[in-house]
Amino acid sequence: MNSSKTQFAELQQTDELEQTWKEPKGFLGSLAVVGHKEIGKRYIVTAFIFLLLGGLEALLMRLQLAFPENTFLDPGRYNQIFTTHGTTMMFLFAVPVMEGMGIYLVPLMVGTRNVAFPRLNAFGYWMYLAGGLFLYAGTFFHALPDAGWFAYPPLSGPQFSPGKGVDVWAQMITFTEVSALCVAVELIVTILRMRAPGMTLNRIPMFCWSMLVQSFMIIFAMPAVMIASSVMLLNDRTIGTHFVNPAEGGDPLLYQHIFWFFGHPEVYIIFLPALGMVSSMIETFSRRHLFGYPALVLALVANGFLAFGLWVHHMFATGLPQVGEAYFTAASMMIAITSGVQIFCWLATLCTGRLRTTTALHFVFGFIFIFVLGGLTGVMVASIPFDLQAHDTYFVVAHFHYVLIGGALFPLFGGFHYWFPKFTGRLMDERLGKCSFWILFVGFNLTFFPMHFLGLGGMPRRVYTYSAGMGWELPNLLATVGALTIAVGGIVFIANVMRSRRHGEIADPNPWEGASLEWEAASPPKSYNFPRLPAVDNLWPAWDDISKRTVIEGLSDDRREILITSLNAAEPHHRHTLPKPSIWPFVTTLGLGIGLTGSVIAFSWYYVAAALGAIGFIGWFWPRRPLEFTS
Amino acid sequence: MTEARVLYVGHLPDQEVSNHGPLWFGQVLLCCIEGMMLCMLIAIYFYLRLGVDVWPPPGTQLPSTPVPTLALIPLLLSIVPTYIASAGAKRNSRVLMLAGLAGNLLFAAVFLGFRYLEWRSFNFTWQTDAHGTIVWSILFLHTFDLVADLVMTFVLLVIIAIGRYGPKQRTGVHVDSVVWYFLVAIWLPLYAVIYWGPHVVGAGR
Repeated sequence: MNSSKTQFAELQQTDELEQTWKEPKGFLGSLAVVGHKEIGKRYIVTAFIFLLLGGLEALLMRLQLAFPENTFLDPGRYNQIFTTHGTTMMFLFAVPVMEGMGIYLVPLMVGTRNVAFPRLNAFGYWMYLAGGLFLYAGTFFHALPDAGWFAYPPLSGPQFSPGKGVDVWAQMITFTEVSALCVAVELIVTILRMRAPGMTLNRIPMFCWSMLVQSFMIIFAMPAVMIASSVMLLNDRTIGTHFVNPAEGGDPLLYQHIFWFFGHPEVYIIFLPALGMVSSMIETFSRRHLFGYPALVLALVANGFLAFGLWVHHMFATGLPQVGEAYFTAASMMIAITSGVQIFCWLATLCTGRLRTTTALHFVFGFIFIFVLGGLTGVMVASIPFDLQAHDTYFVVAHFHYVLIGGALFPLFGGFHYWFPKFTGRLMDERLGKCSFWILFVGFNLTFFPMHFLGLGGMPRRVYTYSAGMGWELPNLLATVGALTIAVGGIVFIANVMRSRRHGEIADPNPWEGASLEWEAASPPKSYNFPRLPAVDNLWPAWDDISKRTVIEGLSDDRREILITSLNAAEPHHRHTLPKPSIWPFVTTLGLGIGLTGSVIAFSWYYVAAALGAIGFIGWFWPRRPLEFTS
Repeated sequence: MTEARVLYVGHLPDQEVSNHGPLWFGQVLLCCIEGMMLCMLIAIYFYLRLGVDVWPPPGTQLPSTPVPTLALIPLLLSIVPTYIASAGAKRNSRVLMLAGLAGNLLFAAVFLGFRYLEWRSFNFTWQTDAHGTIVWSILFLHTFDLVADLVMTFVLLVIIAIGRYGPKQRTGVHVDSVVWYFLVAIWLPLYAVIYWGPHVVGAGR
């Protein structure tokens, strides 16, 4: 009798929570959504669409390069395609997809109900979407960039890149970086101030640690690229400033310095969350505690710091003073230490665990294999004499695809299989999953391994064709066959997602027996994540007896109240009410989007952006009755 | 679930207006971002300086220091009303908030007046040469930040004046003061670089 009463009370409570936290429906409602799960999913789906576009661009390039003196693409079109491919993959796929995973998973992992700034989160997504559409809209206005994904002047300057393509590229950066910065700010605050009571710093799940370090890196790296692209490059092109004009005291190399001060950390911004995913998956599928948690955390943090001291290794061929270059060689090689520590911790966990060889773990093994190879070529190109030979050849192309696809994409695919039941409530098909893994793994190596030899054989990157008789025919043909194989793997993966979403096996909350808090929420989680917020007393809460879980009481259910905890010890500090859904982040993006789009034509459009943006922000901030301003 | 242990938090304060709130933290991070942008511009300033023998190049007047130095007085004084506004926000005192926000706007307006005067005295634009480009970029970005914050300060003043406020808006007043402290503090190195830099590192003049 007593227990049925309690059950009734709990049902009533979850009903009320659902009323409070549910997201608005309908078209207008969908523009006002602020829930982290919905926005995280939007990031992930949008980013995968851009991955598809970037992948198609890669296929076009490979088709062109399959045979010597091929005429499938003309040189101008080829330049546009490799530029858009790199830009899409770096700015519109890799960073946003990691942000999306973080937005979805971090609040669940730290045991709260949303990110710290839900409306900022919505705003970030809209800015990202606007930036992606802006770049691709260039296709219809003959305004596709064609100066490479890092747009070096003087090639990208007004003299050698007339037209609006480079301007569109430069301002697209503004959109996507604003988005990344928004996510970074809200994830840092979420991780540092909204953790479940008892989740001290040394009980934060590895994935959250990786998002925390990544977010701090974004805060210190992304401003540099905004300076490089929208202050230096764009203003030189539109209003005649002289940042990179040597005739008036400017310097094109300065652009490279500023760009790579961002560009190198960018690589780790993409790759650190992937490391966090690998740690999560290895712990779960080894069915034991992660070996060397403190060492892994310290390696991540060290990686974050070192990332800012490496940028010159992208510029070894520019003739900088040798003493400086030697420093950057040493710093670059130190990355092997932090990466090595992580690899050995994972291997130790895997060797001493009882493995469950799921699809996700296959991708982890694929990651270790490919990433170690990429790391080895990384140590090679960190050495100046070697780099001067390999610079701007296909050797570098091979290296960074091994590092980025191996280091970020394989863990991401693994993570996608791993968390898919959390996202959708259904498991992905394991047989199809393993099938897609093997096709992707073979296809990847077939595509990029021959490129090492192409590079050593002297084939420069970014050439639209090559003559016969250079000995480059076979590796190029193999690479193209490999690219088509990757496409097949991609199709199998998509088919698996589509099929599993509707017909996959129903998943319970913790299908893999994972250790972190997201596995305590329902699959898929309710709008409020947890009926009652949990408190934890170790690093593996979901491995404890759930019926003995300490839960939080005393938070209002009729408004979006969450608990703020202290930074180190995660002791309860005060209650805090998160905002309700709002259309204003969307409206603000619209205003800023109009102004920033115009700014590629004339500087004065910045004032339009400022005015419309201000209207948006004021509307956003304007107090509404009743909850927001009663005390 | 019935045996679950319970941690009761209902007695804790809600919507605290202090440096412990998430918004304060977020605002500090936004200041880090903006600070990083301005620091990059300082780095660019010195990089461009290294590229030429004479700085600023011949024909460009040395920046005069009296007006910008005088302008520091209202700028530094503006911290006082800003502090009053944030103290008012914490104590929920409407009078202190109104006086503080209005004082902030007033001193800032005087400072911007001085800045207008010094801009008029320049004999170079961003199109003149690399020196002009970087000086105007720093000034433009910092002025843009100032004006953006003043618009928000004005909006807060209106909100407090018409009485449509609660803890959320008071938190707004409090973090608005954080931005202003930041903009004042970051101006000191920028001022030193733009106006004293050429006197100190501008060899050949």
